[in-house]
Amino acid sequence: MAGFINVIRSTLAELANRSEPAAPVLPVGLPAAVRPVAEDGVALLINYQSAVYAQLYSDRLRRFVGRRNVSDELFSEIARLLTMRMSYHDPIRIAQLKLQEPVMPGRPPVVDRRRFRLDELVSALPEIVGDPLMWALERIYCAHRTVPIRFSKASIWGIKRLEFESWLRRWRLLSTRYETERVWVERWLHMIDRALTKQPDAAMAIVQTATMIEGYGTGYRQGMAAWHQIIDGLAKPAFDGTLVITDLADAITRARAVPRDPKGDQLRKAIGELRAHAVLN
Amino acid sequence: MDMSYLHHFGSAAATIFVVATATMRTMIPLRVFGIMANVLLIAISIPTHNYPTMALHAVLLPLNIYRLRQMLQLVQDVKKSVNSDLSMEWLKPFMTKRPCKAGEVLFYKDEKAEDMFYIVSGRYRLVESGIELPVGAIVGELGMLSPLNERTQTLECIEPGMVLSVSYSQVEELYVQNPEFGFFFLRLASARLFENIDKLEARLMKQDAPALPMAPQHA
Repeated sequence: MAGFINVIRSTLAELANRSEPAAPVLPVGLPAAVRPVAEDGVALLINYQSAVYAQLYSDRLRRFVGRRNVSDELFSEIARLLTMRMSYHDPIRIAQLKLQEPVMPGRPPVVDRRRFRLDELVSALPEIVGDPLMWALERIYCAHRTVPIRFSKASIWGIKRLEFESWLRRWRLLSTRYETERVWVERWLHMIDRALTKQPDAAMAIVQTATMIEGYGTGYRQGMAAWHQIIDGLAKPAFDGTLVITDLADAITRARAVPRDPKGDQLRKAIGELRAHAVLN
Repeated sequence: MDMSYLHHFGSAAATIFVVATATMRTMIPLRVFGIMANVLLIAISIPTHNYPTMALHAVLLPLNIYRLRQMLQLVQDVKKSVNSDLSMEWLKPFMTKRPCKAGEVLFYKDEKAEDMFYIVSGRYRLVESGIELPVGAIVGELGMLSPLNERTQTLECIEPGMVLSVSYSQVEELYVQNPEFGFFFLRLASARLFENIDKLEARLMKQDAPALPMAPQHA
């Protein structure tokens, strides 16, 4: 019921145009070197979702203003990668980008054909719709089946479809995918925060782990799984003090260099070896 | 007696009650008027043999009574809590169960706070301070009233268990629906805040205590 009410509220707020406040405000004290990156991030996220969402980005950046051990370079990297992760690629985003693509005169528009897993498509819908659909797909063993989707501006029908898919962004923040991404971003920021407190030398390596997660589909899922393996196996125990790793940044770099496999066995083995060289408390 | 008179009179009276119900801004008067409209419509539908209306209001009447009782009970419990142990147990009927696995993080430091939690079972630790929270603790009740609405610590589950959670928007709804509840909720939150300040002062005094004999004596 709460999910249903949220959908109604969100839609009514959108119709009443109440959800758009004034332009997002960047945090006071943001270093001048970081400002251009943050401004780009805000502009992109307004386009991606809304001004409220861009304000959330700005609020997340505020956590690092005036923090010890945060250089301009590190802060800029956090701002850049935070923008990237907060504008994750889902079918809605791909439709948005396609709509914004310029059409060259005299050349036919490029048609994108992308394959999505059904569970990926369903996870972009509001929980109230997505959860029962996901349950049904799992019952008939179809959740992992891939379907091709065309993103095209070649016909009026294609443009209208893209506009509809793009319109679905109003419900994006109620989706299961958004919840996964929100939790991931918070965990990443938390790990940066802990690195700054416990092992500042490893902060940049932690920040850059965000590049492990990109796009959608198999690459996205494997990247996400590998990221959690590295954080759970190396970074978190090091910050908790249960594992003493003298050069955490190097350990993370080595773990990241391991080729990815579907079950993550190679990475698990590599992390095991790295842990064997560390001191267990 | 002519049934058509009764029917017209009853319909007019019921219409007044239904309109009055719809104009109520807060929950308790709304339920009271709802109950009166239900009773009137049931009473009229029996002699006029309007059984669908009777069935509908026979279902709505207990529902309205149950919700009214729940609201009155809530106000009473909050009042009682303000005057006794400052507990927030009264929120339990409005909370939903959430199982937690070891290693799961309920919320992160600096994250926007949106829910408050009541610990039912398991073990939970505030990561930054290392403090373990006991069963029965309420977490995040002040976040709702803080201007920035941000978490000040990270809460991690270290042994599987169960928490009850309620979103701030649900508490806000209760607050708006029921001004009396809102007033006592504010008093309760303030009292808990003052209690925290007292605890901190006591802890500070404890820390300063060994240094006192060394302090210079004033004449």
